[in-house]
Amino acid sequence: MPEPIIAVEGLWKRFGDVSAVEDFSFSVERGEVCGLLGPNGAGKSTTLRILMGLERPTRGAVRLFGRVVTPSCPELARVGAMVEQAAFVPHLSGLTNLRLWWEAAGGRLSSADLDGALGVAGLGDAINRRVRTYSQGMKQRLGFARLLLARPEILVIDEPTNGLDPGEIREIRELIVRLTDRGATVLLSSHHLSEVEQTCSQVVVMNHGRLVAGGTVGELIGSSGSVYVEVDDRDRAHTVLAGIAGVQSVAGSGDGLIVELRSGRRSDLVAALTAAGVRVETIMQTQRLEDAFLDLLEPRNPPAPGGSE
Amino acid sequence: MIALVRTEMIKAVRRTRTLVIALGLVGLPTLIVVAIHARGNRPDREGGVGLFRLAQHSGLLVPAAVLSVMSGFLLVVVAGTFAGDSVASDAAWGNLRYLLMRPVPRGRLLVAKAFVAGVLIWISTILVAVAALVGGLVLFGAHAVNVPSARGLSLGGLGAVGGLGGFHLSETVLLLRLGVAAAYVAFGFTALLALGTFFSTLTDAAAGAIGATVGVYIVSEILDGISQLGNIRLGFPTHYLGAWESMFTENRYSHDMIAGILVQLAYFVVFGAMAIVWFRRKDIRS
Repeated sequence: MPEPIIAVEGLWKRFGDVSAVEDFSFSVERGEVCGLLGPNGAGKSTTLRILMGLERPTRGAVRLFGRVVTPSCPELARVGAMVEQAAFVPHLSGLTNLRLWWEAAGGRLSSADLDGALGVAGLGDAINRRVRTYSQGMKQRLGFARLLLARPEILVIDEPTNGLDPGEIREIRELIVRLTDRGATVLLSSHHLSEVEQTCSQVVVMNHGRLVAGGTVGELIGSSGSVYVEVDDRDRAHTVLAGIAGVQSVAGSGDGLIVELRSGRRSDLVAALTAAGVRVETIMQTQRLEDAFLDLLEPRNPPAPGGSE
Repeated sequence: MIALVRTEMIKAVRRTRTLVIALGLVGLPTLIVVAIHARGNRPDREGGVGLFRLAQHSGLLVPAAVLSVMSGFLLVVVAGTFAGDSVASDAAWGNLRYLLMRPVPRGRLLVAKAFVAGVLIWISTILVAVAALVGGLVLFGAHAVNVPSARGLSLGGLGAVGGLGGFHLSETVLLLRLGVAAAYVAFGFTALLALGTFFSTLTDAAAGAIGATVGVYIVSEILDGISQLGNIRLGFPTHYLGAWESMFTENRYSHDMIAGILVQLAYFVVFGAMAIVWFRRKDIRS
């Protein structure tokens, strides 16, 4: 089995008495687009800073390409990162910023993918203006141009739409989709769930510095919540579905049924119905990632105090 | 490393603030020269400052007078600005984390930033000296001077070497010593450079780092004036800053200049090492 391209192993980060990250582990395989989800203060940015060698872990380790990350380690050259907001030297033009950033490590700008990066950023003539005249959205786009200069194998993007207006958010999301289409491995941190839902195949959810859940978006949504089913025989389907262990309740809704799941997957429902001779016309998730996320952080049906399993 | 220094230099030089400082470092010496010229040979009720009185007799001595007055505070502020701002400004802009993720090794980045700050401090000092020299030559011309003894100076005498045991400084000697003086003044900010760079690694607020750096120098100068502190004062970074003036007022290279260089080097080594150690271990959270 190939080694994960990003591996976070038992990560702890403490600031005095406060734990920002506690025993946090996850991994990302090559080519995956992974969303790191969590509310503000969950520890996402701290995790990404450790991943990029900006902070040292209190315990545990982070690996890139199988090598433990240390400050300024050479593996970082293969990663394009935007940690928190894009930031630049304000009195220099966008292009000069890109050139100086690139040349600071000794390379010549001609060896960078400048045309590709500028094409993705789409700043036009504004690239020659001082950065202090840019809107936040323009800075973010310039930030994307910078992270693409090195033709990175991994993209680490932290809260890319923070502080942007709706138009800028749409632009940045479309930009992320274009980046993911290039086939790079992406780790996208966000608390905007629709952003993750639209762009990520894998999701890792953290809260209070800890891992809450992980898996594909479908698994996360499907692991709990409700499903809408249309069948040819509603009464028989009701009986079959109510008898499945992971089903909490079944109720009629228009032409179909709403099935509340405690656990299990949509495929389990389809299999049971089919086995019972019920033809499934439609089955769809009524719950989106946002609902699943909120359920994970604050379960709507917590077990009763003192209850036993 | 050369590429890194070049990029850091471009960032520093293209700041509006750097341009304003440069204009100030040309303009203020020019004003001082004009003031010296306007003052003429009027007697000084307070006994006078030796170099200022000498400056009225040769444009080649004007830079020494200007350096003497500007190295006490204004150049300290300028040097403190360049040193204290070196890391903190990038941190304040949020650009520091991107440099480190490039990745640029932390130690190398710090050395490049300190080197650029040091070069700018030297350029600032030279700019002051050259501006004063040009102004001095225009208004006073280039002459050799006869300097009376210190006693003679205090009595207001000048030009008569004879009975008061004075000495002669030729144009060549004046130019040579002026170069040494400018170099000594610039080197006198070596401790400040290390202190400023160290403070700059401690904070993301450039103003705080600059203030702390200049503050240390001001406190050092105040404490240096308290004679009851005895030999402790010999270790202050500002104690030997004026040692170069003896080249013009007493016709000798003071041993204090060597002591001054050693003190500066000691501060540079200690605080430079602290800055590197701290910066390499620091969590970058800005």
